[in-house]
Amino acid sequence: MELLRPSSPEEATGALGNGSRALAGGTELVPLIRDGLVKADTLVEIRDVVPRGVTGTRIGAGTTLAELELDGEIPQALREACAQAASPQLRSMGTIGGNLLQATRCWYWRLGFDCWLHGGETCFARDGAQREHAVFGNDKCASAHPSDIAAALLALGATLRTTRREFAVAELYRLPTDDDRNVTTLAPDELILEIELTTPDASTYLKAMDRRKWSFPIVGVAAARFGGETRIALAGVAPIPWLLDSVAILDEATPLPGTGYKVEIARALVRRAIEAI
Amino acid sequence: MARLIRTEKEVEGRYEEVWIVVDEDALDRWPAGPLTTVGQRVPRVDGLARARGQALFTADLQLPGMLHTAVLRSPYARARVISIDLEPARSAFGVRAVIGPADLDQLTDEPGYVGHAVAAVAADTFGQAQAAAERIVVEWDVLEPLLDADEAVRQESFVSDVANYERGDFERGLGGADVVVEAEYRTQVVVHNSLETHQAVCHWEDDGITIYISTQYIWGIRASMADHLGLPPDKVRVICHAMGGGFGAKNSPGDYTPIAAELAKRTARPVRCALTRREENVAAGNRNATIQRLTAAATTDGTLVALGGDFVNAVGYSGWSATTEGPMKMLYACDNVRTTQYPAKLNLPPMAAFRAPGFVEGTFGLECLLDELAVKLGIDPLELRRMNYADSDRTDDRPFSSKNLAECYRRAEPHWAKRDEVRARSRGPWKHGIGLASQIWYGGGGPPSYAWIRVGSDGRAQVVTAMQDIGTGTRTAMAQIAAEELGIPLDHVQVSLGDSARGPFASISAGSSTVPSMGPAVRSAAADAKRQIIEIAAQRFHLEERVLDLRDGQIVSTDGGSWPLTEVTGLLESGQILGQGARGPNPAGMQVLTFGVQVAEVAVDVETGEVRVDKIVAIHDVGRVINALGAESQVEGGIIQGIGHTLSEERIDDPATGSILSRTLDAYRMPTIADVPEIVSELVDIPDEHLTNLGSKGLGEPPIIPVAAAIANAIRDATGAEIRSLPITREEMLRALREAEAREKERRGAAAAV
Amino acid sequence: MRIELSVNGEPCEADVWEGESLLYALRERLGLPGSKNACEQGECGSCSVLLDGKLVCACLVLAAQAEGHEIVTVEGLAEDGRLHKVQEAFVAAGAVQCGFCTPGLVVATADLLARNVYPSDDDIREALSGNLCRCTGYAKIFDAVRMAAASL
Repeated sequence: MELLRPSSPEEATGALGNGSRALAGGTELVPLIRDGLVKADTLVEIRDVVPRGVTGTRIGAGTTLAELELDGEIPQALREACAQAASPQLRSMGTIGGNLLQATRCWYWRLGFDCWLHGGETCFARDGAQREHAVFGNDKCASAHPSDIAAALLALGATLRTTRREFAVAELYRLPTDDDRNVTTLAPDELILEIELTTPDASTYLKAMDRRKWSFPIVGVAAARFGGETRIALAGVAPIPWLLDSVAILDEATPLPGTGYKVEIARALVRRAIEAI
Repeated sequence: MARLIRTEKEVEGRYEEVWIVVDEDALDRWPAGPLTTVGQRVPRVDGLARARGQALFTADLQLPGMLHTAVLRSPYARARVISIDLEPARSAFGVRAVIGPADLDQLTDEPGYVGHAVAAVAADTFGQAQAAAERIVVEWDVLEPLLDADEAVRQESFVSDVANYERGDFERGLGGADVVVEAEYRTQVVVHNSLETHQAVCHWEDDGITIYISTQYIWGIRASMADHLGLPPDKVRVICHAMGGGFGAKNSPGDYTPIAAELAKRTARPVRCALTRREENVAAGNRNATIQRLTAAATTDGTLVALGGDFVNAVGYSGWSATTEGPMKMLYACDNVRTTQYPAKLNLPPMAAFRAPGFVEGTFGLECLLDELAVKLGIDPLELRRMNYADSDRTDDRPFSSKNLAECYRRAEPHWAKRDEVRARSRGPWKHGIGLASQIWYGGGGPPSYAWIRVGSDGRAQVVTAMQDIGTGTRTAMAQIAAEELGIPLDHVQVSLGDSARGPFASISAGSSTVPSMGPAVRSAAADAKRQIIEIAAQRFHLEERVLDLRDGQIVSTDGGSWPLTEVTGLLESGQILGQGARGPNPAGMQVLTFGVQVAEVAVDVETGEVRVDKIVAIHDVGRVINALGAESQVEGGIIQGIGHTLSEERIDDPATGSILSRTLDAYRMPTIADVPEIVSELVDIPDEHLTNLGSKGLGEPPIIPVAAAIANAIRDATGAEIRSLPITREEMLRALREAEAREKERRGAAAAV
Repeated sequence: MRIELSVNGEPCEADVWEGESLLYALRERLGLPGSKNACEQGECGSCSVLLDGKLVCACLVLAAQAEGHEIVTVEGLAEDGRLHKVQEAFVAAGAVQCGFCTPGLVVATADLLARNVYPSDDDIREALSGNLCRCTGYAKIFDAVRMAAASL
């Protein structure tokens, strides 16, 4: 394995692709490499080439969650999502850009089962042990996306600037298909550089967990109010962060036998989030 | 004088009749309550080394030339190895030895659970060993696993005999009852997950072997490894200076110690075999799941007239079947009790003792059922327990050596009396309630155990015994006992332990037995040394021995004379006073048990199923308390482990293959500091006047026993929901709430129809 | 590859493999076994160290990422009389049982008190939530943090 330290985003993207991976905080990538779930001949350390810090409504993708949870200027939903994510140790290394790209906690996927999401034929969770799994978009793969921050940015209607393009955060994610099992649209040699926020009138993030702290979301609910419009997005309910076009969509959930409780929790938290803003 | 006695020996609720030679002089009983050192709040004598990161754990040991092991474990719950090719591993970089099923009993070619060891590789680094192990080629014949405990009972797949018990006439008792409750309770598999994983370093030296191991039982490792290796026990030296948690899982050598010993022999190098966290969650033992189908019956005055239950222990592939039915047999004075316990053998990883095995699970079922009964009877749950108080061990009518459960109940009253106040805290979706549960368990320890004490010319003492401190504070407790008996300051006592070659036999640190087994031997050794010091002092000062005593580092006489201890010990120069002591027998014809009660205050969010434990009051009766600070810490540790067991911890198995899905500490959820409630702990601290020269019982296990039932009963108090299954995750809580709503609706419908 | 970094105030060098963790380098190459390896992937906090003053899990940081940075481990805290109080408080309060998690908790507590001299109970819950302890039940750890805060 080789470790490269490029000095510019261009140099970094030039080194990406072909079996290399971008390394930022490392809190996700390092264990995935150790477990053999990600193969990388070359690691490209991008901490020094990706913007870091908050300027007005722009957040550098290299800003750590620890820095964001203390920032009084960013919308409350994002601040709370950062503060409730992971543990202090992980938040001081983990970056917002990396957090958006984290992989599911589905135990079959994490243990390297030859599952549909890994390119196989079967989603083992659909017929097997399920509880942290999806209630939406789960007909092929029942995994749940664990990013609190992604749900917050989705509700906030944030846009991303990468080394190639600018687009709404919603477009970063795609439900995996038979032809392409990726859950993001990011190219292998594309880096997220900045997140551009809109400023809501009010926003919040509520999270149901198995422990009081240091847990991935069973259900996370981000809500943001812009004038008369309220945007709601959920974490932990689908293979990707899930924008809820209306509260009624909860009636259309397709829970598995072991995940129905998530719909009930989502219903309560969505109502509370709307009341809170 | 040495005496040969036939006695019952109990560990973790399992009994055997053994011959034991005991050698103990009777000593005066210490007065009850805190003494000069014993009973005080004493910080760890070895705490600073641990806080500085200087304590040497097995995990920290570095020996020159040491190799590292990776174990190839079965990915299948039931399979046969058709062929195995170790050669690709042998030729891998850094590899020094590879062994397979043909080389060692602990490596199998017919694995019976996921994680069963099949082959092992020793290499210069762990990474090299792991890479090499992945190159081993195995052709498998995969067989259908047996994973369902009820199905195992149907097929009569058992690890041991079905255990039937009846006293009185259960059916007749049931026939005479006014109120009967029946319920099925289920408990999950939980994993010890000590922070230091199971591991050993084996090193062959001269014609023997030295084993550094994270263990709860140095002498057990010595005996079983000597047997395994065909060596005289004295050729096996076992060392454990600091160990990072055991909770019952580290009583035996496991597979890793024989594997390390074999690889060390083949390579003539020290070899470490350390489980990874993933292996720890699969192959290091667990608290097995149970299914309990229970019945309780009473007359309207609250008298329990029948208790019965079928208890299925999902033991796993091997292990032993804990007495899940124990609390039902022992806790209450019910005349008619019938239990059947099925020890189901499954293609799942073997169980290992885990902090009060059987009683944690059985208390959850019994004490929840008792509250369901109390609701139906309209009797206060605490009163119902008092009405059925057992004054003797009802399984064989032996008297208790001491029982202060009534005192525990009395002390629980002010906390229990806050029921209305707690319920009144309910606001919006958050419902508050309070619940309690009783505790019964063993914890009396027993012989044999020995200690030596040497006192030098400087008047300082060293306790020497080959026991282990598993993190509970044994060094400190033993130092306190020696200091108290010798009448010297605590910091003049050092405790040397952790090495089978340096000191006499000492008991296992399991079954809440360390203090009650070892403490009396240490006191006895200190008394022996003290007697000798007084004999010398009497000669030196021309006084009678009976007028002399040791106190506060002084030799004192009844007429007011006082000399520094060193005035006598100083005469020794390089000489030493050697005291020796042994643990005496437990009181004949008596049952030695521990008791307690816990009161839990909880809040439940009835919309999201979140359960918050606000407070737990724990009141336990374990005889004399040696270290009040350490004892509190044991209580708190047991409670938080109990909260994990109750609310969040669960090993997740794949229902089709028996693979273990929760292998890391994000999937297996132990409580964090944020999950800690307010904990109030009270120890009754009345010495057991029949038990040893200390009157102390063990405290390691009792505090975890009533936690789950107290919380579940508080949930019922808050919401009316009947918890039937652990852990009480959001889905179990929401299920119970919806079921209670449906029950309530049905009740109202029925009432309306009338 | 060879890396240069500062550990506990001392400049040092280590030959590391590109994929190896800072924890491995500290324990196996630099003779500092105080930071413990318990979960191998950032879930238990037993390997907590300070990286440029920030609390991190050394098992998740590649040794190569620490090149040119300052690391403080549990062994480095005792050098500083002020921080030594945290270790003393852990012992005095009875917050140590087996002690395997203790080095990580001591480092995390030192980090908390460096930022927040009067932590509330909620501050303590938050700051130490990434450090798992299987023995003590955490109650005495609260006492230790409060005791250390009072003595600073």
